[in-house]
Amino acid sequence: MTIVSAFLVPGSPLPQLRPDIAPWGRLNEAMVKAGKALANSKPDCVLMFSTQWFAVLDQLWLTRSHSTGLHVDENWHEFGEQPVDIYSDVTLVQRCIDACNAASIKTRGADYDQFPIDTGTITATTLMGCGTANLPLVLAANNLYNNPKKIEELAALAANELKDKRVAVVGVGGLSNNVFHENIDLKKDRISSESDDKWNRKILSLMESADIDALRSTLPQYAAEARPEMGLKSFHWVLGAMNGSFKKAEVYAYEPLYGSGAAVVEFKA
Amino acid sequence: MNEGKILSGFLAPHPPHLVYGENPPQNEPKSEGGWEPLRWAYERARASLDKQKPDVLLVHSPHWITQVGHHFLGVKNLSGKSVDPIFPNLFRYQFDLEVDVDLAEMICAEGSERGIVTKMMCNPNFRVDYGTITTLHMIRPEWDIPVVVISANNSPYYNAVGEGQNEMDLLGKATREAIRKSGKRAVLLASNTLSHWHFHEEPEIPEDMSKEHPENYKGYKWDIRMIELMRQGRMQEVFKLHPQFVEEAFSETKSGAFTWMHSAMGYPELAAELYGYGTVIGTGNAVMEWDLQGAGLSNLKAA
Repeated sequence: MTIVSAFLVPGSPLPQLRPDIAPWGRLNEAMVKAGKALANSKPDCVLMFSTQWFAVLDQLWLTRSHSTGLHVDENWHEFGEQPVDIYSDVTLVQRCIDACNAASIKTRGADYDQFPIDTGTITATTLMGCGTANLPLVLAANNLYNNPKKIEELAALAANELKDKRVAVVGVGGLSNNVFHENIDLKKDRISSESDDKWNRKILSLMESADIDALRSTLPQYAAEARPEMGLKSFHWVLGAMNGSFKKAEVYAYEPLYGSGAAVVEFKA
Repeated sequence: MNEGKILSGFLAPHPPHLVYGENPPQNEPKSEGGWEPLRWAYERARASLDKQKPDVLLVHSPHWITQVGHHFLGVKNLSGKSVDPIFPNLFRYQFDLEVDVDLAEMICAEGSERGIVTKMMCNPNFRVDYGTITTLHMIRPEWDIPVVVISANNSPYYNAVGEGQNEMDLLGKATREAIRKSGKRAVLLASNTLSHWHFHEEPEIPEDMSKEHPENYKGYKWDIRMIELMRQGRMQEVFKLHPQFVEEAFSETKSGAFTWMHSAMGYPELAAELYGYGTVIGTGNAVMEWDLQGAGLSNLKAA
């Protein structure tokens, strides 16, 4: 297995659309920095999973070699559009699809003109500078019925299938997901509760100390109490691809996103 | 100006399979048919709608999910190709719709007055969700009636079911008052499936109806129980059972469209016409109408 770099990044469009809001700007800068670290690891492809690409039937992978268009987020439409210009390595994706099907995970590709690529994938690829012709994606959907264990299995299966390649892995998703449900002064954005903030910091601290056992035992309670986005499946994707372990992690940024928690983290094998 | 009226409300579910099965020219993928009982049900609903000649159709869709408030399409003309992210193999539809922005803005303002967060969506590049398009196509494939499109605020999912439905109740009351003031003749569309347990794998031929049946017997029994109450007009019982229905049948009515519609109609104890029931990938779908005009209930009192 050749995982050459690994990252957890948020999927909200706010860091891209409104970097003028201080904490969102810091997340923007952290994602750009993560993108540079990713590029410096000289990967052949980026094995990405976004919590916001929902699937409910079968496991989907993006098999369109070049996706283009203009995206408007369903929540933050007033802040403008996100251009889409994403390349996938279809040959490598097809290997993952074949491996999944061989493992009895019913799987298929999505290769359709104007297929709606999710906000998280668009934001991550745009700010990190990946999903380009030189740094193509191998992108998996988030089947809503896959639990964290299944996500890890899927990522491990994909990483193993790509072991002859240099692979960067990216999990796209947020931390505590309790957003404010009313209009707020954007300049006063903060984590919506002290409890969520404590939980996020605890999880990030465990990541930094690479205490995998403690993370595994703590994540279920974190999921129940802080309601991280999709149970923090994005992290499980990274963990699965890294064969269940990493030696250290660096938190580039931890900030609020309209009350929810978001972090940019790099993991080192 | 005459006061507006709500002519009727339809339970109008949105599985894209129904569009796929019908093979309209707007949809790229072609099928050998399938899901006929539900498509025939929609044919009867279309005939009823046609007689009513409404000025506007209002649809609340669970596939435009918003976290901060209830949003309304606020661009007069929206067109493009809608590709379903879940079923891209079945639904790639060229749409072109006209929005009744005036009425949408009125509902938005009425909602705000009632203390709920509301927002107009004014970005001309916005992609309309497939749930909205499917429901609108199935009820009126001519696309010749302006529409109001309302997002599904996700309050029923982050709050208790009851709290979330209270939000939808307020949204319904705002909708009712705005329609009354507008002078328009409106039809409401609740774009919801009933029981929502579904299969997790798709058959090789999606329209192979030998593979289609309720995914879950308990869900099916719940559907029949609720439909029977609706057919008898026992709507208070329906809403009393609703939280349990949502919990045990995993009903998509949790998203709020059904409550919004009945709140806007004033929760009439009115028998619904069942046009048909069927499953799509195992979920329970009913096409039903509450004909307020036929029952002499379409006039709206000032709130």
